[in-house]
Amino acid sequence: MKMPCRSRFPRFPLPTRLAARLALVAPALLLLGCGPAADRDFAERLPQMLIEASPGDVIEVPAGVHRFRRGLSLTVDGVTLRGKGMDRSILSFRDQAQGAEGLLVSADDFTIEDLAIEDTVGDALKINDGDNITVRRVRTEWTDGPSADNGAYGIYPVQSRNVLIEGAVAIGASDAGIYVGQSSRIIVRGSRAEFNVAGIEIENSTFADVHDNVAVNNTGGILVFDLPNLPVQGGRNTRVFNNDISGNNTPNFAPEGNIVATVPAGSGLMVLANDNIEVFGNRFADNGTANVIIVSYHITGLAFDDENYDAFPEAIHIHGNSFSGGGGVPDSEPLQALRAATGAAVPHIVWDGTVAPGREAADILCLGDNDYSGGNGVFVNLDTPNGFASPSFDPLPHGCAMASLQAVSLDAESGGEQ
Amino acid sequence: MRNPAASSSLSRLLLLTAALLLASCDGAWTAAEPVFYERENPRRLSEWGLFDLRGAELVPAAATEVFVPANQLFSDYALKLRTMWLPDGGRMELRDGEYRFPLGAVLSKTFYYPVAAAAEPEHSPPTHSTAGEALVSWAPPQGGSDSHERIDLEDYRLLETRLLVKRDAGWEALAYVWDDEEREAFLHLAGADIPLSLHGTAFTYFVPDRNQCAACHVTEHPDGAIRPLAATVRQLQHRRARASGDSGVAILEAERLVARGWLDAAPSGPVTVDYRDPTVPLAARAAEYLNINCGHCHNAQGAADTSALILDDYTSPDAMGVCKPPVAAGGGSGGRQYNIVPGEPDRSILIYRMESSRLDEMMPELGRSLPHREGIRLIRDWIAAMPGSCSGL
Repeated sequence: MKMPCRSRFPRFPLPTRLAARLALVAPALLLLGCGPAADRDFAERLPQMLIEASPGDVIEVPAGVHRFRRGLSLTVDGVTLRGKGMDRSILSFRDQAQGAEGLLVSADDFTIEDLAIEDTVGDALKINDGDNITVRRVRTEWTDGPSADNGAYGIYPVQSRNVLIEGAVAIGASDAGIYVGQSSRIIVRGSRAEFNVAGIEIENSTFADVHDNVAVNNTGGILVFDLPNLPVQGGRNTRVFNNDISGNNTPNFAPEGNIVATVPAGSGLMVLANDNIEVFGNRFADNGTANVIIVSYHITGLAFDDENYDAFPEAIHIHGNSFSGGGGVPDSEPLQALRAATGAAVPHIVWDGTVAPGREAADILCLGDNDYSGGNGVFVNLDTPNGFASPSFDPLPHGCAMASLQAVSLDAESGGEQ
Repeated sequence: MRNPAASSSLSRLLLLTAALLLASCDGAWTAAEPVFYERENPRRLSEWGLFDLRGAELVPAAATEVFVPANQLFSDYALKLRTMWLPDGGRMELRDGEYRFPLGAVLSKTFYYPVAAAAEPEHSPPTHSTAGEALVSWAPPQGGSDSHERIDLEDYRLLETRLLVKRDAGWEALAYVWDDEEREAFLHLAGADIPLSLHGTAFTYFVPDRNQCAACHVTEHPDGAIRPLAATVRQLQHRRARASGDSGVAILEAERLVARGWLDAAPSGPVTVDYRDPTVPLAARAAEYLNINCGHCHNAQGAADTSALILDDYTSPDAMGVCKPPVAAGGGSGGRQYNIVPGEPDRSILIYRMESSRLDEMMPELGRSLPHREGIRLIRDWIAAMPGSCSGL
């Protein structure tokens, strides 16, 4: 396969790491020994309660900080884990000595609500292969702030179906705060993602509604990605609407090698190789690289060998959003060059310009009525297939509309495969 | 004149003495006959009747068969003694290429260490002992020097005995942790932490909780069924001569089961490569190592299929991770781009994750606190000898 572009978005890893480490020291000193009294008894009982749970059980997590040395796991279907509030019932893994996750769930019909999972060594809450998953008012947080040493994912359902995440808070993940991978029928709403590398990420998934969330102060606010060589791919049909996606300028602190490590700091919404994406009613503001970035997988410069993989984004429809500010401090060589050449901030919407064979610009990206302000240009086509030779600022080829996507229903009957 | 307080302490003393007498009584252990419990989980290992504890020796009951798989999961250099027992008249079947066990089958696996390596407080100064050298030796498969038929408690310390019990609903996993006196092991559903020091390296030995047992033994993730990992066709196609009793002749493990009357005939397939056997080509050794250490999760139906890294059998370079970027490795990437870079172990994530002992980076995720140096060397050599390169580097 022809590689039209070998230029990834380069970053500046050194200052990032340094800042993260400096930021880590002071809060660590302050946090030692504070918080509500521990319920040692409950922490000792919970592992066995999870192991011996029966379908239909509701396990109540009392208020307090419950400290665990080992990862927790649940394999029983139909269990609810319920606390007294995300700031009152806290599962702390600061002393964790075993287990790659805080809580690992391999079960259907699982509900977790009103509690927090803090400072896990690896992922905070991983749900592998579950049907009918509800994560409600759960906070996952690394309390020392952004650091490459933090676990990768906060709330992490993978290969799951009928996933509802609402009212959640995810802070400090070194990959994604809320990450739904290889899943279908997903709603992420009313949640807040802050100081993660990726705030909310939908990856290799189908039928997702991401709405009424706040994604601020991440490296990238919301990512919709499709990656090659995975058992579940063909990511498509995601609606991103009514979100506040602003000020996502935290330096990238993801360990190298991970796909999110290539995300420039200051990315609002990034769509990579995904199809049928409707973006509307969002507030985009002050994302320093660009408010919206649409790219093919080729921009990563990574090799792949997967005949079934579609590396190109298609049918991206952006309408009815408000845009202001941003684009002033791009964390990306090509965009820095653009900024230098134009003397102006990077336009609100950046497209790498790669077009799937046999397609046209209007098949890839339609720009409807959006409210643009702040003096930025509206749009740029980077012309990456020709080595950024002649970027175009003309949005006219994208003056098209696409049919609205259907709302996601978590009911298996109507959520429907296409 | 009676002093009630004195009387009370006297009776307490009597109770204590009785308790001590009971605790030191080995009645439960001698002349052991295995028992199948259909439902309840005995609190004491002795109640299963799988072992005799004679003086300072743990001896498998005569009705059990000691077996040694061709390859074993690395578990912090612990030695493992495995036994199999089928109830009277019970027989194994070969179906769809795998053994099926009858109701009531009990597999046991006892983890133990040379004494010099164990029983040191977590924060004691490092000790340098050579008693544990046998743990890390690359014994050739012949001769059986890497396995015991019984455990001498003068030289070895028992940590835990894990059981797989075949019940109506399928296999169940139970872990029994030995007490400090090594007179009894007690059921621990929620696992346990045991501080140890091995060759001067302090580490915590983790007894798995019941779900963690399943994390490895449920090999096909969605169906949730626990399966044996050592008592399999692949692993029992292994020739071994017992330290005593076989006249130095190496016998196929499966043939021992035939001799017991538990199996009609040994499978006709080839003998499985022992990954430690230096006479075998590197690729075949690496494949066996990855199969037994990674394949229980990294198979097409396993919990780690989310990563698209498939290591239970050789399928394609892609599936084994050649030039494959990570999916959700987090810090486990170690800053490297691809899982395997041919010829470059130091740029391969696979090696990074084997060498790391950080919880969120290390592979396997469970079952070790230490890196397996010999395994790392094998996989390094294999990658170093691999032809080709990855683009973009």
